[in-house]
Amino acid sequence: MIEVTIQLLSFFAAAALVIIGITGMLFLDNLIKKIIAFILLSDGVNLMLVAVGYVEGGIVSILLPGMSPSEFASKAILVFPVGIVLTNIVISVSTTAVLVALVIMLYRRYGTLKSSKVLKEERR
Amino acid sequence: MIESISNLWSIPLLVMIPIFATIIVNLLFNRNKAIKYISLISALSLVVITLLSPYGFQWFTGQPALNPNTLTFTFDASIPAWRMALEFYFGPLQQALIFVMALILVLVIGIATNGLTKNQGPYIGMIFLLFASAAIIVMVNDLYHLWIGVEIGSLVVAGVVAASGEGISQKAALKYTFFSALSGAGLAIALALILGLTGYSNISDAIRYIQTTNLNGMSSILYVAFGFFTLSWIYAGGLVPIHPLKSEVYGAAFPHGTAMLQTQSKLMLVAIGLVMLRLFGSLPFAREVMLSISVLTMMLGVVMALLQTDLRWILAYLIVSHSGLVTVGISLGTYDALVGGLFQAVNDVLYMSVLLLGCEAVYYLGNGTSTKTAAGIAKKAPWLALAVVLGTFAASGIPPFNGFQSEIILIQSALKVGLPEVAVVILILSVTTFIALFRAIYSIFLRPADTTHLVVSGLIPSEAQEVGKETPIPRGLYLSLAILVVITLILGVYPDLVIRFLTPVAQAVSIPWYP
Repeated sequence: MIEVTIQLLSFFAAAALVIIGITGMLFLDNLIKKIIAFILLSDGVNLMLVAVGYVEGGIVSILLPGMSPSEFASKAILVFPVGIVLTNIVISVSTTAVLVALVIMLYRRYGTLKSSKVLKEERR
Repeated sequence: MIESISNLWSIPLLVMIPIFATIIVNLLFNRNKAIKYISLISALSLVVITLLSPYGFQWFTGQPALNPNTLTFTFDASIPAWRMALEFYFGPLQQALIFVMALILVLVIGIATNGLTKNQGPYIGMIFLLFASAAIIVMVNDLYHLWIGVEIGSLVVAGVVAASGEGISQKAALKYTFFSALSGAGLAIALALILGLTGYSNISDAIRYIQTTNLNGMSSILYVAFGFFTLSWIYAGGLVPIHPLKSEVYGAAFPHGTAMLQTQSKLMLVAIGLVMLRLFGSLPFAREVMLSISVLTMMLGVVMALLQTDLRWILAYLIVSHSGLVTVGISLGTYDALVGGLFQAVNDVLYMSVLLLGCEAVYYLGNGTSTKTAAGIAKKAPWLALAVVLGTFAASGIPPFNGFQSEIILIQSALKVGLPEVAVVILILSVTTFIALFRAIYSIFLRPADTTHLVVSGLIPSEAQEVGKETPIPRGLYLSLAILVVITLILGVYPDLVIRFLTPVAQAVSIPWYP
């Protein structure tokens, strides 16, 4: 029997967020809701990365005075996934900013936020 | 050249110079003369650095390789997994690819600063960022920077497209950004899965772990990671089923911008493809999936190109279909196929740039690029017509141009591994490319000019492209075309000038088709 741990539950929560995000981005019509779905997707990825770095009973990865390097290496949570999460937060903020800017420009032009109208093919 | 054991000086310069150039030209905003000189000097310095640089590594976080004598394994498995091993490598392949990209950058900057846009700073800045993102992806040997490079590249592509006009351009940029968000998240998930599975972000370390460890049931995680990687690969190159979206992006940008976009895209395709081949090449069915996507891209792209009536859109679809040629070589994964695929990437960038810059020159003559409205250009600009015809020969794989050399290698390698159907598709692609392009070239260049001006959809909002308004084609554009045509011819006659840079990687990465 699979033991239910915080890490496993985090993976399930992350997967749920990712699925909700992808579904929202693909199937919602409102452009702002699509952007919100993207933010959920991004949060799912962040949670997944944090869960990858999780160590049961682990400590924050700061080498404290008196701690031997081997003890630190065995107890510390994986620091790299946390670094990736920081990067992903920056990237998702940048992407959201670009998306919102483009949506504002298109709203001014077409007067609607419905992607079915805004993104409709134009004759070339 | 000698491989440097200490941190190589040129690697940070190849990333930082375009980033600093971006910051400076953004601050200058609309001081076009200053922007022109600063950006040209920066672009030329990138060409020089690429040519003069020795080969070697750059390690972030100050962690040098434990075994500097091999190109493959950077870190020892006994080191705790939280060591990052963020690594860049500049070798012969990187030199060839980045040199071609820097050359295209110089030509594109020369054209872009000639007055098509009013506020050049932000636009030129984004062109530089395209270079930086592709340089990161080509040189990187860790998943973390690969992901960052892909993300930067995606946002910049959207910026370049959105800056090229209104309406269609902004829509294309929005759609592309949504999909880039999806694929970027996918790549991050793949990174998390591989990190969780192997404990390594460094690609070489992860590969060694996968090759030397009995993964048992864990290989399903590897398949999921492969799926997310494939999503990112498809998106980066505009492969099937994203091909209409990527074509829209190419068609919506300025033609010179598209020249840089397609260069970045091809380099990303090669870099991500090679990482996929190294990480997942030994997984059953992985290469078959990659090959199927490549063949479908070739076929669907060229069919869509045949249906178009505007040279700009014909080129947009042909760029995507020719991406399939590059990925066929990488998907087959044998030595010959890899050499052919990588050589095709270089050739493709060059001859498509000839055609795109030719398309840009057609705009100056005032009647757009539609086969319905533009006509008789060969009489007005015979040298332009000659350059575009020679570019068409190169794109169609006609000797003695460079496209012929890479396509023949790909056809031979497909036959060698017992896939004659792939060879046939490559041949069909060549013939249909010729038909699609020559049909447009006949209408635009050779058909006698009509005196009645039809309405042209104003996709590029610039004074130079107003209907019926003819402006002289800049000499810089002619010079760029001449340089590119000469290079395509030289590489067609002396393919070894490039192939010798590609063989070390092909030898190191190649896998027999049926091991």
